[in-house]
Amino acid sequence: MALILEQMPIVISSLNVGFLQTLKLFFVTLIGAAPLGLVIAFGSMSSFKPLSWLCKLIVWIIRGTPLMIQLLIIYYFPGLVFGTPVWGTGESGRFFAASVSFIFNYSCYFSEIYRGGIQSVPIGQEEAGLVLGMTKRQIFFKIKLLQMIKRIVPPMSNEIITLVKDTSLARIIALQEIIWAGQAFMKGSQGISGAIWPMFFTAIYYLIFSGILTVLLSKLENKLNYFR
Amino acid sequence: MKKTMFALISAAALAAFTLTACGSSEPAATSAAETETEAASEESSEAESTADASESDMDYVKGKGTLVVGITDFEPMDYKDANGNWIGFDADMATAFAESIGVKPEFVEIDWDNKILELDGKTVDCLWNGMTLTDEVKSAMSTSNAYCNNAQVVIVKSDVADKYQDEESLKDLTFAVEAGSAGEAQAEALGLEYTPVKAQSDALMEVAAGTSDAAIIDSLMAAAMVGEGTGYADLTYTIGLNSEEYGVGFRKGSDLTDTLNEFFKTSYDDGSMLECAESYGVQAAIVEQ
Amino acid sequence: MSILELRHLRKSFGKTEVLKDINLTMEKGQVLTLIGSSGSGKTTLLRCLNFLETPDSGEIIVNGENLLTGNASEKELRRKRLHFGLVFQSFNLFPQYTALQNVMLAKQLMAKEKPDYASNKKAINEAIEYQAHELLKKMGLADRENNYPHQLSGGQCQRVAIARALALEPDILCFDEPTSALDPELTGEVLKVIKGLAETDTTMIIVTHEMSFAHDVSDIVVFMDNGYIVEQGAPSEVMDNPKEERTRKFLSHY
Repeated sequence: MALILEQMPIVISSLNVGFLQTLKLFFVTLIGAAPLGLVIAFGSMSSFKPLSWLCKLIVWIIRGTPLMIQLLIIYYFPGLVFGTPVWGTGESGRFFAASVSFIFNYSCYFSEIYRGGIQSVPIGQEEAGLVLGMTKRQIFFKIKLLQMIKRIVPPMSNEIITLVKDTSLARIIALQEIIWAGQAFMKGSQGISGAIWPMFFTAIYYLIFSGILTVLLSKLENKLNYFR
Repeated sequence: MKKTMFALISAAALAAFTLTACGSSEPAATSAAETETEAASEESSEAESTADASESDMDYVKGKGTLVVGITDFEPMDYKDANGNWIGFDADMATAFAESIGVKPEFVEIDWDNKILELDGKTVDCLWNGMTLTDEVKSAMSTSNAYCNNAQVVIVKSDVADKYQDEESLKDLTFAVEAGSAGEAQAEALGLEYTPVKAQSDALMEVAAGTSDAAIIDSLMAAAMVGEGTGYADLTYTIGLNSEEYGVGFRKGSDLTDTLNEFFKTSYDDGSMLECAESYGVQAAIVEQ
Repeated sequence: MSILELRHLRKSFGKTEVLKDINLTMEKGQVLTLIGSSGSGKTTLLRCLNFLETPDSGEIIVNGENLLTGNASEKELRRKRLHFGLVFQSFNLFPQYTALQNVMLAKQLMAKEKPDYASNKKAINEAIEYQAHELLKKMGLADRENNYPHQLSGGQCQRVAIARALALEPDILCFDEPTSALDPELTGEVLKVIKGLAETDTTMIIVTHEMSFAHDVSDIVVFMDNGYIVEQGAPSEVMDNPKEERTRKFLSHY
């Protein structure tokens, strides 16, 4: 116990560094994938067939293959095949590649949720807007968007909580997120080895963060409950 | 399907490639100038270069000004000090080598399973992490001369160590070994029952947790990580199974290998290699250059 | 000049011809009801007038201007649409807005597009809100303006929808079976409102299955069957003394 207390500051500061990477990857993915998902959703609903097929194909490939494979391919493929590591070296290169993989992956999942949300708004809403002389743009932003958001908040909450935990997959390209940081003390690092307890701490970081997100997202859900 | 996926990824990669190509035009120009002045001394290594005909590895590394060293957290070869700087026998030697060719070392922790991918994909420039020179390693990369001796040792719990002092006694035990390591090769050769795990340190965990009876790991690592005053105080190592050597890996055909061999020789001759080894307690294992 | 004249209007969905040579004329202030069984083309005709469907050929002439002229830009289409208002069977109120906001929204958006909006913002918004208050009062919903649609009964929703359509002051207000989605006890309150509008000379086209209401309120009754106008005229002719066998047969169901 005394030993654990002694090692605690080392472990905590290491976990903090790892958790910062986890948080960075989480927010970058969210900020990147939320709008890109909308673009893909509109693409796959486009009446221009080749575009819609292309979008659906991409969604199928990305959703149909493990994120871990995508990470490996996106990070190593350019260097191995073209002889140019496009992501740059070091930690930042790994983070960049991980971000691109995650944004791609999550925008495909988001796009399907958006598509479901958009298509679940009854056609009558659009027609009502049209006969009232609104433009398509006004109809989307003033009428459909909020109804769509209301419908997608619960499935998006699920994806967002999943994303928190999925960030750990970036370890496969040696992005040093919090599990990597915690595991280092199992392997042996900074004089601490064979220690399983940092893993419990790691789990607590995840619990607290996903707890905060759950509260925020259910607040949003409640906020949108004023209409049906 | 495969084709489409390939096309998509290629397209994305190409787009990114174009971007970097634009960004890196300046260093490419300076390295071209260097090529001319050093062309004579590098002729031999350039001839055998298969990785990149237009530019030698040395020029590539000098062009970007950093030598990216692929490592894992592996005491006493590469590990972090209290300030988070990488130290260790390998880390210090790599730093000295990088300085000798006029570039900065950049240490990057990698997943050791992907070491060949990292090297060939140019996300690291060398692997310098107490790497055992197995046939597989030698065929996948250009390796330096051996600089350190190593043996594979058997790790068991201290209280039962007396019972397992010869190879015959090992037959009753279940082993944990790092997948693809020299330890696994030994376990296989001896016909032992074993589970492959991700890292040597995981193998230690297995023994400490009692999920395996014993592990086979590098003696240098064992010296640093098990026994009195370590995280694995109740583990110990018994018999050595075979002797092996550590080397540094570069990309196939790299001219950096020869440069490093020369550097090893110089630093062995002037005593600086031994001095460095002494500060990490591995002087007994150093190989004469 | 007639307020509305339809000439040789045709519309097909794929191979099915839904409107076959529709011709009719109505004057300002008149109420025209469309009757006929489901699938006779009544709703499609209303949707054509509101440009939710595009007729294949023919003319829609409003105040002497033919609105069916080739491909119109979105801007043109919006202007043409505004000759007509449409009240839907299923209300189609915007659920995230209150009754008052539902009535004001379209007008506010339109005001924002005008160049003088920025300078007169306050006055314009006040005028829009005043008009919305008045309309809802007229619909008997003065105490409900801040309710959201899900807090209102079906009859109240439909009255909000009528106020919403009236806010844009269309030349002709169309109703697509306005009481079909309502419980019988709520039907009356909506029909009463429509009757009230008829008394104030609002020009209306109403698709309905309420025969006694149609008889009561109409200047012109149009009986449609299988995409044709079978018979049209005053209720006393078409409903009381139908000339055509098909009309008689249809009316005998009521």
